[in-house]
Amino acid sequence: MSTNIIEAPKNRFIDPKVLMRIQNLELTARTVVEGFVSGLHQSPYLGFSVDFAEYRPYQRGDELKRIDWNVYARSNKLYVKLFEGETNTRVLVLLDMSGSMAYGSSEVRKIDYAKILAACLSYFAYHQRDGVGLVTFDTEIRTYIPAGRRTGQLSNIFKEIDHSEAAKETAFSKPLRYLAEVLNRRGIIVVISDFYDEPSSIIAGLRALKAKGNDIMAFHIMDDFELTFPFDQMAQFEDLETQRKLHVIPEYLRKQYLTVLNSHMEELKKGLRGAQIDYTLMNTSHPLDAGLFSYLAARINSL
Amino acid sequence: MSFLNPFFLIGSIVLAVPVIIHLVRREKSEVIQFSSLMFLLKVPKRSVRQQIIKNLLLMALRLLILALLVGAFMRPYLTESAVPKVLSGQANGIVMLLDNSYSMRYGNNMDKLKSEANRRIDALGANDQMSLIVFNDSATVLARPTSDKGELKSRVAFIEPSFNGTKYYEAFTAADHVLQQFEGKQKQLFMISDFQKAGWNRSSRENVISRDVKFDKVDLGIENSTNVGIDNVSVNATSFTRQFGGRVVARVHNYRKDQPVTVQATLLMNDKEVGGKHIVMIPPNSTQLTDFSGFDLPIGASKGKVRIDSDDPLKVDNEFLFAIDRRERLKVLIMDAGKPRQSDYLLKVFNASTDLPIEASVAMADSVRAESLPQYKIVVVNDVPSLSNAVRDKLVELRKTGQGQFVVLGPNADLGWWGSFPGLPVKPIRKMTANSELGRTSVSITSFDRNHGMFKKFRNSATFTLSTALFYKFTQMELKPGAAALAKFEDGSPALAESSGTDRGLIVFASSLDNKVTEGWNDFPIKASFVPFAIEIARYLSHSDDVREWYALGEGIPIVGSIEGGAAAVIDPNGERIGLGDLAAGQQLFFTPKIPGFHEIRVGHDIRLIAVNPPSNEGNLDKIPPDELIAGVQSTAAEAQRAGLFTSDDQLEHAKRQLSWWYLLLIAIVAAIAEILIANRSFRAPSGTLVSGGKTSGSGLLGFGRN
Repeated sequence: MSTNIIEAPKNRFIDPKVLMRIQNLELTARTVVEGFVSGLHQSPYLGFSVDFAEYRPYQRGDELKRIDWNVYARSNKLYVKLFEGETNTRVLVLLDMSGSMAYGSSEVRKIDYAKILAACLSYFAYHQRDGVGLVTFDTEIRTYIPAGRRTGQLSNIFKEIDHSEAAKETAFSKPLRYLAEVLNRRGIIVVISDFYDEPSSIIAGLRALKAKGNDIMAFHIMDDFELTFPFDQMAQFEDLETQRKLHVIPEYLRKQYLTVLNSHMEELKKGLRGAQIDYTLMNTSHPLDAGLFSYLAARINSL
Repeated sequence: MSFLNPFFLIGSIVLAVPVIIHLVRREKSEVIQFSSLMFLLKVPKRSVRQQIIKNLLLMALRLLILALLVGAFMRPYLTESAVPKVLSGQANGIVMLLDNSYSMRYGNNMDKLKSEANRRIDALGANDQMSLIVFNDSATVLARPTSDKGELKSRVAFIEPSFNGTKYYEAFTAADHVLQQFEGKQKQLFMISDFQKAGWNRSSRENVISRDVKFDKVDLGIENSTNVGIDNVSVNATSFTRQFGGRVVARVHNYRKDQPVTVQATLLMNDKEVGGKHIVMIPPNSTQLTDFSGFDLPIGASKGKVRIDSDDPLKVDNEFLFAIDRRERLKVLIMDAGKPRQSDYLLKVFNASTDLPIEASVAMADSVRAESLPQYKIVVVNDVPSLSNAVRDKLVELRKTGQGQFVVLGPNADLGWWGSFPGLPVKPIRKMTANSELGRTSVSITSFDRNHGMFKKFRNSATFTLSTALFYKFTQMELKPGAAALAKFEDGSPALAESSGTDRGLIVFASSLDNKVTEGWNDFPIKASFVPFAIEIARYLSHSDDVREWYALGEGIPIVGSIEGGAAAVIDPNGERIGLGDLAAGQQLFFTPKIPGFHEIRVGHDIRLIAVNPPSNEGNLDKIPPDELIAGVQSTAAEAQRAGLFTSDDQLEHAKRQLSWWYLLLIAIVAAIAEILIANRSFRAPSGTLVSGGKTSGSGLLGFGRN
C-alpha cells in the first residue's frame, strides 16, 4: 500500500471553518461526502449484492454469468445486471481524544477537525456497505463500538463522536495492544491522532495491528501554529495534557522546536512506511478531502 | 566627591525602567495554552541558559550605560584626592592627629584608631616624613617628624585612652607648629578621631591651618550613641551634723535619641550602699534627676559615689564621685571692749543657728591670749579700741591659713590704730553722725553685692533687704586698692568691705552691732535681716562653701599651706604619692589631677579628700562634621586669595578634579558598542524559520521591547 495516489482538487471543497458552523455532525458528514462523491469521474464503489441496482450495456470483459438473458430475449441486446454492494470490509476508526487534541490556533480545534474527519469516513464507509466501528482513546480505550452495519450503528457512532471531548495524555501502546488482542477479523483501521507520543511506541502498536492483516491509515492532525511556531512574544506555554507551564522566548526556541518537530514527524513517517502503513499529514487549516482521498485509495486496494 | 549638577541625579530614575520592564513582563507574561510541551522540552538546555546569560549581560550593560550617562551629566567633582595622599609621587610631610580623649573609650574605638594609624604609616613613601600628635584637652607630640615606620608604629602601640576631654583647637595649633617644619614637602594633616562635637568651641575660630595643607581623616564617630551616664551630682560638700541634712542629687543623661532607658541608681558612701536602689526612667536624649538623703556621716571626709547599672559601651560615666566633709561645730570667738552686754545680739544669733552649728564664746579683747586664737575658725572683733600686738600679729598670720575675721568699727574703735591694722581693706576716716553731717536723721544700706558669696543665698530673694535698718552714726571708710565694698550706705560710702584677693578672709563693718539700739549707732540688730546677715557672714568666713564636692578632670585644685606649714603632697587614686614641695603658711598652689578618682591632699598634718570626675560633656558623643571642623581652622579660598596664597596650581587642580565626567562618557560609549555587538549576535532571526507577521525586531541601543 502506498500513500494517497489521488490528488485532492482543493478548490472545490468546503473550508473547515465553514463546516464548523454546521452543528449536526451527520449533516456535516453528508455535506462533505456527497460533495466529494459527486465530483468523481467514475464511481467504482458498486459491489456484489443480492439487491438489484441497475442494468448497463455489456462490455467486453464482463463475465457471461452477469448477462441478463431475459432482457436479451426481449430486446435482443446484451445487458449486464448490477447489484448493490454488500458489506465486504470492516472499517474501524481510532480517534485520539487526548488533551493535546483540544488545541487550536483558530476556531477549528484539532479535535473538531478530527471529529469531522472521523464522521465523514464513517458515513462514507457505511454507505459503501462497509461495517463501521469507532474507538476513542487517550491513554486507554475510552469507547469501543465494534464495526457493524446494524440499524442505528451510524447514529451511535455520530453520537459518540459528538459527545466525546479531549482530555488526558496520549499513550498509544496500551490501547493498540488491546485492539490487537480483540480484533479477529481483518479490515481497515483508520487512526486519527496528533501522535504526541514516542514514534517507536506508535509504530510498534500499529505494526501489531498490521500483522493481523489489517490495512491501516494514519491521519496526523496538526495545527498550523504547531507546524510553524509563529509566536513572537515571550509567554508561559501551558501543556494542555499535563498543565505544566514553561517560560518560553519563542524567538530563541523556534528554530530548535521546528527541528525537533520535523525530526519527530520524519521518524514517524519513515517508520509507518516501513510497516506499509499509510501516513497522511493533515493541517487543520486545509480542507478535509485529502483524508477522503487517502481512504478511497486504501479502500480500492483492500477490495 | 561632590557633583556640580546634582539635580541630574533625578535622571537615575531611568535606571529603574529596564528593571521594571523586565519584572513586569516576567510577572505578567501571557499564558498560552499549547498542545504539548513535548518538543519544547526537548530543546537543549544549554542554548536556553546561554541566551539567559546573554540577556542578563545585556540588561546589565544597558543599566551601566544609563548610570554612566547620569553620572557624567552630574559632573562629578573630586573634593579631595580619592587615593591616599601618601601614595602620590611628591615627598609628603604628614602630621597625624590621634584622638585619645575619654570618649574614645567607647566600644573598640581605640583599637580602630591604632589599626588605621598603622595602615597610614604602612602607606608612607620612602621620602615621606610623619609626626604623631596625640590630643585630648591638650596636645602632645608623640613622635617628631621621621620616616622610621617602626618607631612610629611603636609609638602608636603605646597610646592609651585618657580620661580627659577634647579640645580640637589645641590639637590643630600643635599640628600647625609641626607642619611648619615640612618645608618643600606636600603638607598633609591626617586626623583620626570620633569628631565629638563637645570638643569644638565655635567661638575659637582662627585660621591655624594654612591653605596649602591637605586634610584627610578617618571618622570613628558614633552616629547613634547608646551611651547613658551621670553628668552631674549636686551635694553640699560640708556637713556639720551626723545625719546628712541635705540631698545628693544625681543627674542621669540618656544620650540615645531613639528610645528611653531605664537604669538602676545607687548611692555608695565609703563603699557602702545607702539610700536604697532607685529606678530611673530617662526619655530619649534627655536627663532625669534622682536624689538620695537621710544617711549618716562619720567625722572627717567621706567618699561618695553614685552608680548606675547600664550596659552601654562607655562605662566610665556610669559612676560619679563626690566627697563630703563632716566637721565639728564652728568655733567662733567674739572679742569685745567689755561693755555690758555688748555682744549679746551676736551671741544669740550664733547660738540660735541650726543649719550651721556654731559654738560661740565672748571674751574681752584685753584678756585674749594670742596662743588661744588658732582653735577658732572665726574671730569677731566687735568694736574694740585696739588689740595687743601679739594678738594682732597672730590674727594676721591665722588669716592666711584660712581663719575668718570680722572687724566691727563702732563707737569704741580707735580709728587711728585700726588704720594701721595689716590687711584691713579700708582706711577708716572718721566717725560720722547722719543728723549733723548729712542733714538727715539716719542713713540706710541701700545696696549690696548680690553676686558675692556671702549673699548667695539671697541672690534670688526679693524679700531680703538690708535697707530697713537705720544707721544714725557710722564710720566713714575709704576702700583700699583691690578691696571690694560688699554693701554701701545711701551716701555711697562702704558699709561692708572685704580684703583683696591675696589677703582674703577679713571683713569690716562700718557701724556697731551692740545692744544700744535706741541711743546707739543703729537699730540693725533688732531688724529681721540681722540674723541671716550674721549667719551668712559666719558661713562665708568659715570657708565651708569653698570646699567643692567634686572637681572635673583638668580643673586646678587650690592647695593652701597650713598654719604650721609643711610638705604638701597628693596621693592619687592608684596610691602613688605626688610631692608638691614645702608650703609656707598661707602659700597657695594649684594641683591638676591626671586621672579621675579620689585624691588625698596632704599639707603638713591636714588631709583633704578630693573627688575628681572625667569631664561630663565627653559622654555626649554627638559629632561635628569633619569638613566643618577643618573649615573652622583652615583659611578659606577667598581668605587665601586675599592673602595671595591661591595659586594657579590650585586652579589647575580644580580643573583636573572635574575631568572624570569625560571618563564616564567614554566608558558609556564603549559599553554601548559592546551592547550593540552582543545584541546583534543574540537577536539575529533564525534563518529558515517562520516568524509570524515578520515581527523579528532589529537591534538597537536600548531595544527593551525585543524580548
